[in-house]
Amino acid sequence: MSNQTQDLDQEIMQTVLTHLARFPTKSEELNAQTDLSADMNIDSVNMMELLMEVEDTFDVSFPLNMMANVNTVQDLADQIKQLVENRP
Amino acid sequence: MSISDRFAELAHIRDSLGAVEADPSRIVMEKILSPTEARIAGKRTILVGTNNYLGLTFEPELLDAACAAMHEQGSGTTGSRMANGSFAGHASLERDFAEFYGVPSAMIFSTGYQTNLGLLMGILRPGDKVVLDSHSHACIYDGCRISGADFLAFRHNDPEDLRKRLRRLGGDAEGALVIAEGLYSMLGDIAPLAELCAVAKEYGAWFMVDEAHSFGVYGEKGLGLCEEAGILDQVDFITGTFSKSLASLGGFCVSRHPEMQLLRYGSRPYIFTASSSPANIAAADAALRAIRTRPEIKDKLWANANRLYDGLKGLGYELASTVSPVIAVRVPSKEEGARLWNALLDEGVYVNLVLPPAAPDSAALLRCSLSAAHNFEQIDAILAAFKAASAGSDMAVGASAQ
Repeated sequence: MSNQTQDLDQEIMQTVLTHLARFPTKSEELNAQTDLSADMNIDSVNMMELLMEVEDTFDVSFPLNMMANVNTVQDLADQIKQLVENRP
Repeated sequence: MSISDRFAELAHIRDSLGAVEADPSRIVMEKILSPTEARIAGKRTILVGTNNYLGLTFEPELLDAACAAMHEQGSGTTGSRMANGSFAGHASLERDFAEFYGVPSAMIFSTGYQTNLGLLMGILRPGDKVVLDSHSHACIYDGCRISGADFLAFRHNDPEDLRKRLRRLGGDAEGALVIAEGLYSMLGDIAPLAELCAVAKEYGAWFMVDEAHSFGVYGEKGLGLCEEAGILDQVDFITGTFSKSLASLGGFCVSRHPEMQLLRYGSRPYIFTASSSPANIAAADAALRAIRTRPEIKDKLWANANRLYDGLKGLGYELASTVSPVIAVRVPSKEEGARLWNALLDEGVYVNLVLPPAAPDSAALLRCSLSAAHNFEQIDAILAAFKAASAGSDMAVGASAQ
């Protein structure tokens, strides 16, 4: 993995964790494996708010229907990375 | 997740509402006394959460028309229009909507929810792009989700945020669908439709407006906020419901595009559901006539809305928006919201208790919807109940005045 890719991974994960930090979590610690629904119980409105912030941070379009494939924080970061890499 | 897990999840939701004594399913209207009153738990209660904006549900013209239709045509249609055929009333009501809006296309659906579902599932396909206001009603989200289109939200009532999101779509913005509502049902705020429409058109996008809560209430003719914003000739699809100002059950979609009628051949919520009953159609038809010929009903509604709005403000309550037929009182927590809601019920006033996520910012809302059928004595009684309910709380009279 190149340094550039690692930097992007870290930037995305850090941004996602920062945005998520304002929501309460059932787990001891918020990390890549935290389940957005089971551990954090984020409701649909907060999830949408989170996605709008992600879109603005990375200047991408993140359709809500893509969340069907997202369970954990890592899944979310992976989806964002895919969008950033395919950004026109 | 298994079905038993899901039942456990639902039981948890019920129990959490029960814990703060805020379970709306315990409210039973034992007897409906008028458009604005019912007996609840043995008590005569003023209803301020019905969406019965024009108060037409007991109007003799509507009742006579509905009863006559039922006697002439029966109690139900027993099937869909595609399979069983349309009744004359379905077709004539569609013509009335088209004529009232001055457009070539109108379709009616069996409920308001199915109207948005039917339009969106009918016109969208996987890969299509939709940009919708983040406060959109669940039926708009559901219609987008089921259609398989890519849908994203723009910040509520913010044309510049819409512009930013359309820009990000690049070439896909052309032909995308932008969706807004007229009057938003929870906060009672209205959309800047002219600005949103201008941004959508700038990018070559289609523009759809749901006037569920604004039809019959806004605009000189009562057509809604698109009429008031002067964009009737630009908006592509307008949807609405029969279950609010029209005092019945069903929904409508009108369009300046003649092709919209083709949805009859490819909208599953239209094709695979029983058509509206003759009584529902006749009542909606009579209500539509009332809107067209009696503008004074709307004036009465606004007088009531202004009186309640000014009164609540005078009591120090924090209101979520400027005056409209939906007046939402912000309450800092769901526990305090539930306490006030129960106190209002004890005082003989029923409002809607709205909890997160339906209420924004982790707050609760005491949502009042006004009716033209309320009288000033009732409005004053509602204000007295709010005054009594706030006694002894952090929201005591004047405490949150700003």
